Amino acid sequence: MIADTLLILFISIVTALLGEGLTWILVYRMEKYKKLKSEVEKQSKKLEKQKEAIGTEASERSLKKKLERQEEKLKTNNRDLSMVKMKSMFAIGFAFTALLSMFNSIFDGRVVARLPFVPISWLQSISHRNLLGEDYTDCSFIFLYILCTMSIRQNIQKILGFAPSRAANKQGSGFFSTPTPVGK
Amino acid sequence: MSNVKRKSGEKISSDLSKMATLAKAFTAASDWPDKDEFLDVIYWFRQIIGLVIGIAWGIVPIKGLLGIVLFFAVNMAVIYVYFSIFQKVDEEDYGGISEILKEGLMTSFATFLVAWIIVYSALYAD
Repeated sequence: MIADTLLILFISIVTALLGEGLTWILVYRMEKYKKLKSEVEKQSKKLEKQKEAIGTEASERSLKKKLERQEEKLKTNNRDLSMVKMKSMFAIGFAFTALLSMFNSIFDGRVVARLPFVPISWLQSISHRNLLGEDYTDCSFIFLYILCTMSIRQNIQKILGFAPSRAANKQGSGFFSTPTPVGK
Repeated sequence: MSNVKRKSGEKISSDLSKMATLAKAFTAASDWPDKDEFLDVIYWFRQIIGLVIGIAWGIVPIKGLLGIVLFFAVNMAVIYVYFSIFQKVDEEDYGGISEILKEGLMTSFATFLVAWIIVYSALYAD
């Protein structure tokens, strides 16, 4: 069992590195992406500083309007950034879904680890997926793989410097973000 | 050739900057003009705490909800002591205490669960 556990950890590390590697080849090294990312980060930091300032000074309509315009500009840049990433991310996502299905079928029905806790009921459908019996401390491949990926991918992105900045995260990123309200 | 020299120079200065950050992290009441630098220290410190607690809970073993609750309690307590007592950082500079306490928390939780499960399985599984 421990061999399976460690193998899944290894698979998770390799797929995370592969994913980031492919993303670097298809997305991160593109000049357009680098330019947009740097613009978004600069604008996010500037906007954050200005929002803090507007909270302490007397509100002026013109200042708020200026902030709203900058937010719109940031939103547009974020959208463009998402568009640049989207096609490549779809392709990578598709490839990794196929890879995951393959591993899923290899480990189908195998208990790969013993959980030191009983997961809550709605998580059991993942943690006990395709496993026989009622012992919910039996762990399936998919649950362990998801946990490993959550930990490893994030840390690899941070180590390699691919994680978005905190200011950019705060101002929202991608298509589905709504701008944060101006002023307090 | 000049490109290679420039890149190796950049690498050296990046390594030196990381060592300086590491030294500040271990020095009480350090000055953190770059807020992101301090939050990165908190992030990585949290990952190490998650890993250590996961291994410890797996060895003892601590099981069930108690293990998860204790993880959050210990993790938050250690980070709080580190930033407020050791580093004497003003949380208002970072947008409040919650911004520091939540930095890297979920990733640390995932790291803790992975370490806990693997160590427990290795030692106590049939």
